[in-house]
Amino acid sequence: MSENITPYQYLPNMSRRESLKWLTVLAASAVVTSVSGCSFISETEPVKVGHWPDLTPTPIEVAGYGTDPNLILPPESPWPRTLSSTQLTLVAVLSDIIVPRDGAVPSATEVKVPDVIDEWVSAPYQTQQRDRLVVLNALAWIEEESQRRFNLGFVGLSGEQQLKIMDDIAYNNAQTPEEFKRIAKAFDRFRGLVLAAFYTSPEGSKDIGYLGNVPIAGDYPGPTEEARQHLEQVLASLKLSDYAYS
Amino acid sequence: MRDNRHEVIVVGSGAGGAMAAYTLTKSGHKVLMLEAGRDYDPKTETPMFKRNGDAPLMGAATSDKHFGFYDATVDGGWQVPDEPYSVAEGDDFYWWRARMLGGRTNHWGRFSLRFSEHDFKGKSRDGLGADWPFDYAELAPWYDKTEELVGVCGTNTGLDDMPPSAEGVLHPPPQPRVPELLIAAAAKKQGIPMVPMHRAVLTRPKDDRAACFWATPCGHGCSIGAAFQTTTSLLPMAKATGNLQIITQAMVKSVDTDDQGKVIGVTYIDKASGHTHNLKAKVIILAASACESARILLNSKSQHFPDGLANSSGQVGKNLMDSTGAHLGAIIPALKGRPRYNEDGHTSNHLFIPWWGHAAQAKGELDFPRGYHFEIGCGFREPGAGVSGSLQGYGKAVKQQVWDNYGAYVGFSLRGEMLPNPDSYMEIDESVRDKWGIPVSKFHFKWSEHELKQIEHGLKTAKALLETMGADVGELPSAEQAISKGGSIIHEVGTTRMGSSAESSVTNQWGQTWDCDNLFVMDGGVFASNPHKNCTLTIMTLAMRNASWLSAQLKGGVI
Repeated sequence: MSENITPYQYLPNMSRRESLKWLTVLAASAVVTSVSGCSFISETEPVKVGHWPDLTPTPIEVAGYGTDPNLILPPESPWPRTLSSTQLTLVAVLSDIIVPRDGAVPSATEVKVPDVIDEWVSAPYQTQQRDRLVVLNALAWIEEESQRRFNLGFVGLSGEQQLKIMDDIAYNNAQTPEEFKRIAKAFDRFRGLVLAAFYTSPEGSKDIGYLGNVPIAGDYPGPTEEARQHLEQVLASLKLSDYAYS
Repeated sequence: MRDNRHEVIVVGSGAGGAMAAYTLTKSGHKVLMLEAGRDYDPKTETPMFKRNGDAPLMGAATSDKHFGFYDATVDGGWQVPDEPYSVAEGDDFYWWRARMLGGRTNHWGRFSLRFSEHDFKGKSRDGLGADWPFDYAELAPWYDKTEELVGVCGTNTGLDDMPPSAEGVLHPPPQPRVPELLIAAAAKKQGIPMVPMHRAVLTRPKDDRAACFWATPCGHGCSIGAAFQTTTSLLPMAKATGNLQIITQAMVKSVDTDDQGKVIGVTYIDKASGHTHNLKAKVIILAASACESARILLNSKSQHFPDGLANSSGQVGKNLMDSTGAHLGAIIPALKGRPRYNEDGHTSNHLFIPWWGHAAQAKGELDFPRGYHFEIGCGFREPGAGVSGSLQGYGKAVKQQVWDNYGAYVGFSLRGEMLPNPDSYMEIDESVRDKWGIPVSKFHFKWSEHELKQIEHGLKTAKALLETMGADVGELPSAEQAISKGGSIIHEVGTTRMGSSAESSVTNQWGQTWDCDNLFVMDGGVFASNPHKNCTLTIMTLAMRNASWLSAQLKGGVI
């Protein structure tokens, strides 16, 4: 790797403009690493039994937001964040693989998804503590896998190399090889969190097509003409047209 | 002394207590209301239009806020800080409480379905449970008055499970959404009706309350007063009479009697100071919720009432019933990627499936005695902490799956009638006390075969409906796996049931305890049975009727 390129680091409080700058750096670094000819373990060599980091992070025992929080001005930092900057950067890179920028629609990091993930895995509640175990192990597994295959951390891999690992772990179905089953399940949870964090942002909410949360004067207008026509097609395709609601 | 100015003390500010206080203060009686939680102002505290993305953890439910960050419930949920309860070993029971003015009415589902003649006389029909001490005709005009005051949207469907409201009472319901229209067609093919849900949501302005503007979930509370809660309606209206005084943070410990066994007042603990106070009044009305009122009675022991107050029948705490619950849902392939539009509506189901099996039950075609209904979950909801569907891959491909699945899920939530049984009751756990030194409730709960058979029928029906819409449902869970945990539907009733004899019930048809003529219960505890239709409308209707009767007794000098 060229020495004058600073490794990408996700900065939790940077402005959107700053994060775009860092993404450019990341893209450049990815190109550099892909041509640098780093040695790596051939991906054709299967990991015999699969590996698992078996991290057992200490439980988070700080207070939650309590049973009567201010709902109008929700607490912004209800508990300390716990991800290290290395972990946060890995989360950022993975998040943008899951939700890359698509035309005018921002990527996951552009809408601060890693911050939401950090808040989530740092929360003192049961569900989040369970997810913390899953996510921290998934991050460690991905890092370990990257070192095994490419002798390099995941963030430093080329885009192509990163996707080789992704392609092995991002599908959790009957065809998933035994060695990837556990990480595929963990990655599924991580992906679910990243997607939720993305779609709950204003930009993500718009991207999924949520059109509510606006006051309407008068009666609720119901389905649009386009939606009604679609319903009629659906009823016809299911042979339910004769039973239409009236 | 200030307490002498009050003729009636009402314990609780939720559906029953607020309606009782409203009715009495309107009739000129001085009422003092005691609420165990804090004061609450929906006008300034309701998170209207707040987005999940602005809340911690995307608004997800936690052990601090069991129905999500924005749920209106204050200091409550399945557990209340410093106020534990016990559950018998091997049993499951969940007790939802709120510690706030207005109680659970601030967040309830607002489903408002009348009980029918069929519901009030179940025992006469099938020999199970208990009949109510009146018939539907007696309650019908009170339902009209309550619906008029509360504001309920819906239509008269003419179905035997849905007795009609008087002309002009119901507000017009909102138009159905696309998935609801699809389900309605699938249901019709199966011979099952689907009709507008009745909800306590104004669709026309009323009093100081605005009509629904079709946004922001009712469970957050409603600052404009469209979705009914006592804190924007009955309580301010009762206060405006000048006859209502409210003390919040007042945890009632017991109802007090004199040496002759006459009810004279209550003892409460001021949670702010920890001090104990005694208040006197001519009449005491318990409306603290079914299990809290029963707890107060059982904790009100004296020489005259060694087994607890008003418990000569031994029925206080018995006959504990919840609604049955089960859920089955699936992604409907034909709804994938459907055209977007605003489906918020009144933020709950616009159409639902009422119980359609009365005739089949009468003919003996069903192997369970009591009915259920389906509430529908669907629509383009505001994105939250969960993403729908089983996802694969990353990047554009996974975003496409999310786009396709959004709004394609349809879920059926069964809510059914439970019969009382000897294994389901509450008592006092003398070994555990809350922070205020009050012995806590201990719950025992078991479903019977009646409920399990009903769930089995419901699951099969929901599966058939989903398959009619082209969904792949797979194998059904067993009824034992699918049925909700006791209490978790939050329709717990029956613990101070009313009846026509002092031997088998706690109160008469007026909610007046058989043992003490100046002690009343006006919450869900008085329910003789627990029809599948959600209890709140009937709690309010009974409170209005029975408080009116009480007013007449007071004015006539009978009490």
